[in-house]
Amino acid sequence: MKIDMKKFAAWFDDRLALTPIFKYMTKKEVPQHEHSFWYYTGSSILLFFFIQIVTGMMLAFYYKPTLEGATDSIGRIMTELPLGWLVRSIHSWSATFMIAFVMIHLLAIWFTKSYRKPREATWMTGMMLLVVSMVFGFTGYLLPWDDLSLSATKVGTNIPMAIPVVGKWVTQLLRGGDDVTGDTLTRFYMFHVCILPLVIFAILIVHILLVQKEGMSVPLKDEIAKKKVPALPFWPNFVLREVVIWFVLLGVLLTIAVLFAPSLEPTADLMAPAPEGVKPEWYFLFLFQTLKIFPANMGPVTGEFVAVMLILIAVVAIFFLPFLDNKPEGKKGKVFQYFGVAGVIYAIAFSIWSLL
Amino acid sequence: MRIDNAYFTRRKFLNSILGGWLGAVAASFISPIVKFVWPPYKEPDEVKLVFADYSGMQPGEVKNFAWGAKPGLLKRAQDGSFIAWVGVCTHLDCNVSWIPDKKQFFCACHDGWYDENGTNVAGPPPKPLRRLESSVEGEDLFIRKPGVGAKT
Repeated sequence: MKIDMKKFAAWFDDRLALTPIFKYMTKKEVPQHEHSFWYYTGSSILLFFFIQIVTGMMLAFYYKPTLEGATDSIGRIMTELPLGWLVRSIHSWSATFMIAFVMIHLLAIWFTKSYRKPREATWMTGMMLLVVSMVFGFTGYLLPWDDLSLSATKVGTNIPMAIPVVGKWVTQLLRGGDDVTGDTLTRFYMFHVCILPLVIFAILIVHILLVQKEGMSVPLKDEIAKKKVPALPFWPNFVLREVVIWFVLLGVLLTIAVLFAPSLEPTADLMAPAPEGVKPEWYFLFLFQTLKIFPANMGPVTGEFVAVMLILIAVVAIFFLPFLDNKPEGKKGKVFQYFGVAGVIYAIAFSIWSLL
Repeated sequence: MRIDNAYFTRRKFLNSILGGWLGAVAASFISPIVKFVWPPYKEPDEVKLVFADYSGMQPGEVKNFAWGAKPGLLKRAQDGSFIAWVGVCTHLDCNVSWIPDKKQFFCACHDGWYDENGTNVAGPPPKPLRRLESSVEGEDLFIRKPGVGAKT
C-alpha cells in the first residue's frame, strides 16, 4: 500500500496547525552587519544545553545521590561503563562552555545595547537564565561528593544566611537542615535533575519566543539612521552557518573533554577539616574573592553582609539594566558601556587574584 | 445581574467565591508540602561521648568529636577540665582544624585563624568559635549547647 504523504501531512496539519510556524521559519530573516557574528552565540548555548540534557540523562542512569554511594557510583561510571569517563568529562566541560557562552552572549548584548526597547523582557528572561545556569553549576558541583565540593557547598549555602529575615530559611531549604548532610546531596540532585530543568525550560521558551516576536536587533546607529540593513534568510542560509559553528564547537569540546577529563577525589568526610585550596567553579571565583577581601566586621554589621548585599544589588541592577540605560544613544548610554568594561575587568582581575 | 444597591454583580460574587475557595484549597495543599521540604534535621542539644576515649588527653591537646553532622572540638585545659567548641568557622561554615605547632585553629576556606581559646584573631571570621558546655557524668562525657541542662 502506498501512503499518500501529502494526505498524511495534511491530516497532521489539520490537527496541529503547524504550517504557520514552518512558514515563519522560511520567511524569517537575520540582519547582516558588522556585529551579526554575535547572533551565533545564542544557538551555541543551545548546543551545549542539548549536550547537557543528553549526557546528564546518561549519567543519571547510574549515579546514586546518597552519602554512601555518590562517589563510588561516579567511579563506576568512569571505570566500568563504556566511555563513561568521556560522558562525565563532556558533561563537566559542556557546563563550562555553556556558562562561558552565556556570558559572551550577555556581554555582546550589553555592548551592542540590544536590550533597548522593545527587548527589555528578552534581556530580563536572559538574566534569569544566567542565574538558573549558575545554580545548575552550583548544584552539579556537589554531586561527586568529594572534599572540595563539600567545602564549596558549605560556603555557598551559608551565604544566604547574611540576608536578613529570609536568609536562614533559604539556607535550610538548600541544605535540608541546619548543616550540610547526606540530605543536602540528595536534595541538590533533585534540584539539578528535576526542578531546575523545569524552570529553565519554562524561561527558555519565553526567551526564544520573545526573540522570534521582536526579531533580531540591528546596530543602534543603523536604527537611528533608519538604514535598511541587508538580511540573510534564516532557512537555510543562517541555519547552515549555525550548523558549521556547532560542529566546530563540538570538535573543540570533545578534544578538551578527552584530554582533560575531571578527576575523582576521595569521598567527602563531613567531620574532616576543610582542605587547602577550596575553590568553587571558575565562574564563581570573582564572587569568592570578593567575599574573601571584606573584613570580618564593618561597623555594626559583618563584612559578609555588606559583600552579599553589594552582590545582590549588582545582580538586580543588571536585571533592570534596560530601564537604567534608557537613553542608549546619548551620553548616559556611554556610561553604561564603561560600566560593562569595568565589570569585565573586575571579574577577570578578581578571578585571577583568587588563583594566586 | 445586579441586585439593587449591591456593590458587585452576582457574577463577580460567584467568581470570588469560587476563586477564593480554590485559593484556600491550594494553600491547604501547599502548607504540608512546605513543611515536608523545610527540613526536620536540627542541630543536637547534647551528645554523649565515652569519657574513657578522652580521659587520656594531655593539657593543651585537642580532639574531634561528632556534633551532629558537623565536627566538634574538645580541648583539655591546663587545669584538666574540658573546653568544647563547634568546629565550624563562624565566617562561612567550613570545618576548622587545630594546628598544634601554632596553637591555633585554622579555616582553610578563606584563611581564618582563631587562638587556642577560640577567639578569632585573623582573617574574615567575625566571631569566636561557638562554645559548648561539657560535663563528665560517671563514665560519660556530655557536650551540651549552652543553656541546655542535663536531662535527668
